Amino acid sequence: MAKRITIDPITRIEGHLRIDVEVDNNAVSNAWASCTMWRGIEKILRGRDPRDAWMFTQRFCGVCTTVHAMASVRSVEDALKLEVPLNAQYIRNLILIAHALHDHIVHFYQLSALDWVDVLQIPKADPAATSKLAESLSPWTRNSRNELKAAQDRVKAVAASGQLGIFANGYWGHPAMKLSPEVNLLAFSHYVQALEYQRKALQVVGILGSKTPHIQNLTVGGVANAIDLDSQSALGMDKLEMIRSLLDEVTQFVQQVYFVDVCAVAAMYPDWFKIGGGVKNYLAVPDLPLDSKGSAYDLPGGYIHNADLAGVKGFQTGSDAVFRQAVTEDVMHSYYKGEKPLHPWEGETEPAFTGWEGEQKYSWVKAPRYNGEPAQVGPLAQVLIGYSQGHALTKKYTDMAIDKVAAIGGVRATPAALHSTLGRHAARAIRACMLAELAQKHWQLLVDNIAKGDYSVYNQPVLPSHEVHGVGTHEAPRGTLSHWVVIKDEKIKNYQAVVPSTWNASPRDHSGVHGPYEASLLHTPLAKPEEPLEVLRTVHSFDPCMACACHAFDPSGRKITTAKIL
Amino acid sequence: MNSILIGGIGNVLLGDDGLGPYVIRLLESQYEFGDEVELADLGTPALDLTHRIAGRRGVILIDCIASEEHLPGTVLLYDKAALLSAIPTQRLDPHSPAVSECILTAEMLGASPENAWLIGVVGASFEPGRPLSPTVRGALWKVVDAIGYELKRLGVKLEKRLQADELGVWWAEEVGSPAYTSS
Repeated sequence: MAKRITIDPITRIEGHLRIDVEVDNNAVSNAWASCTMWRGIEKILRGRDPRDAWMFTQRFCGVCTTVHAMASVRSVEDALKLEVPLNAQYIRNLILIAHALHDHIVHFYQLSALDWVDVLQIPKADPAATSKLAESLSPWTRNSRNELKAAQDRVKAVAASGQLGIFANGYWGHPAMKLSPEVNLLAFSHYVQALEYQRKALQVVGILGSKTPHIQNLTVGGVANAIDLDSQSALGMDKLEMIRSLLDEVTQFVQQVYFVDVCAVAAMYPDWFKIGGGVKNYLAVPDLPLDSKGSAYDLPGGYIHNADLAGVKGFQTGSDAVFRQAVTEDVMHSYYKGEKPLHPWEGETEPAFTGWEGEQKYSWVKAPRYNGEPAQVGPLAQVLIGYSQGHALTKKYTDMAIDKVAAIGGVRATPAALHSTLGRHAARAIRACMLAELAQKHWQLLVDNIAKGDYSVYNQPVLPSHEVHGVGTHEAPRGTLSHWVVIKDEKIKNYQAVVPSTWNASPRDHSGVHGPYEASLLHTPLAKPEEPLEVLRTVHSFDPCMACACHAFDPSGRKITTAKIL
Repeated sequence: MNSILIGGIGNVLLGDDGLGPYVIRLLESQYEFGDEVELADLGTPALDLTHRIAGRRGVILIDCIASEEHLPGTVLLYDKAALLSAIPTQRLDPHSPAVSECILTAEMLGASPENAWLIGVVGASFEPGRPLSPTVRGALWKVVDAIGYELKRLGVKLEKRLQADELGVWWAEEVGSPAYTSS
């Protein structure tokens, strides 16, 4: 008989992700993804000045502040048909890239690497052998025996204290852990270094945005950075050089460490190219605009239906008419009132909480649909959409990843193998390499444009009194983000944010079709169902972020994530 | 880097959860701090909190508390040992590395803050778009007192300004939206 396992980190009052799976014969036979708290934040924007909306929206989430700010100003600019000066586009692009690099590095090392790396094997590793192995994989200069020994000593110190400190809750010694002590040590050493490099990426956001976590430099119509090459307080050569040197360091880490580690993990867990696929409709929007109108982009967008890569439909702009018409949200299995799927401009957010009822309503997340079907968003969608359109930069790093995995593990992955848990990790590393290269490009574009004497950063918005609609999109670290605004009488009449994790964590819709997390978990084999490591591997591969909400400290209930068998 | 951090944690859009950032604005507008102290509205931080607190002589965090034991408005103080007694949870998403995990991460890096306190107030309402509840507002002076007390332990005096700036809590300006109408 099937038994149900619930994974629910019941630690805070904030909205968080809960996963329920039914297990039959040591494989997942059914799955539910749900979010445990209502956000409803959009409602507080009604009646406000649309030019202020971004300051509120960047408080939706403490991890992705900038992305909600950016989507918001873009939605109002779209509604007002307002162009954005080149300097402002480049500055925004640099912020978006730096934030994404920070996010991808943290995601792989701090949030998911320990699903594959067994920390308790590290004390057994030989640092000299590890260093030799590392040199065969990458030219990275920080893989010396001494550096690796220092990382090993950190783990030994934590283990010797009797408590595992930061590692107190992991599935150590799990039968699905397959790496040698040396590979575990190498990955862990990079886990420690990653903390340094993600911070350097964040420093770029801080310099351009003037503050983190909440940037201050955005405005509808452009940015508020004063450009003066000779000044130390405005954006001048001093700051630009500082940004350049931080980006150089982050680029090296991404290309020589992160990318290589993901390829190595993939080569050593080849089975995971066959697990965790799920929904094979993919959606991505174009991003990193290259002109003031937003008609040319460095990252392509589009839609792939049912894994038909050859039939990919490209989007021309971030607010492409095809995209605008295709999006609806369904609330059949969500804790909201409503009958039929609604377009976001008509979207409503009226709560109807029932408690978890797997066959009825069970999540605070709505079910976004593209032409009535679920769609997977995120780096994998972006890479597949770029690759299938022959986008040169996407092709370059995807082919490089396939070659690297083959060189390490002797197995040659096909593009079809990317519809998997490992495919999502690989795509994120591929995207990080692309973004690192594009960071250099956009830095140069900005410097060259300023050198031409163009100091313009802002176009004044004019709010009409008649009703206008706008959509602002951004291909965020977790995928397609869209903010939908309706403006009337110079005030916000309606506002809806369709966030990437809503696409991926979507519950079933009125036809009973699973969302991407749910579909990806079906048929996953579990070596030890009471320690559902394999479920975490797949859920983590999406980089879930549910808590665009509340964060109160809970001193009492800091229980271990329960893997409850019901 | 300033050797002492006073950081406000919380989501300003969710009623009493905005306590931390509110207190930071209150301190910025009414008190004088020397070079040693950094004030920061941290929003709802994740792992990036690690680098905010690593290597500091003192860290004072202000946050809203969820508690079934204590009444709303109760002010609670947790020292570093109390914060570290919490067991890290399995991370499902990037918000999971919370205060305790960030201190533990700093510890692993050999850069644990020498002193750390979390001053919290038990929240009454977390409704989107609402300002601080009267219950939590009534506890603000106790929070400022507690901050002053911990600063004194660190050898720093909390000094009131002769002339206060505008509070400037932009997120709490009412616009008559539906979210403001209930209770």
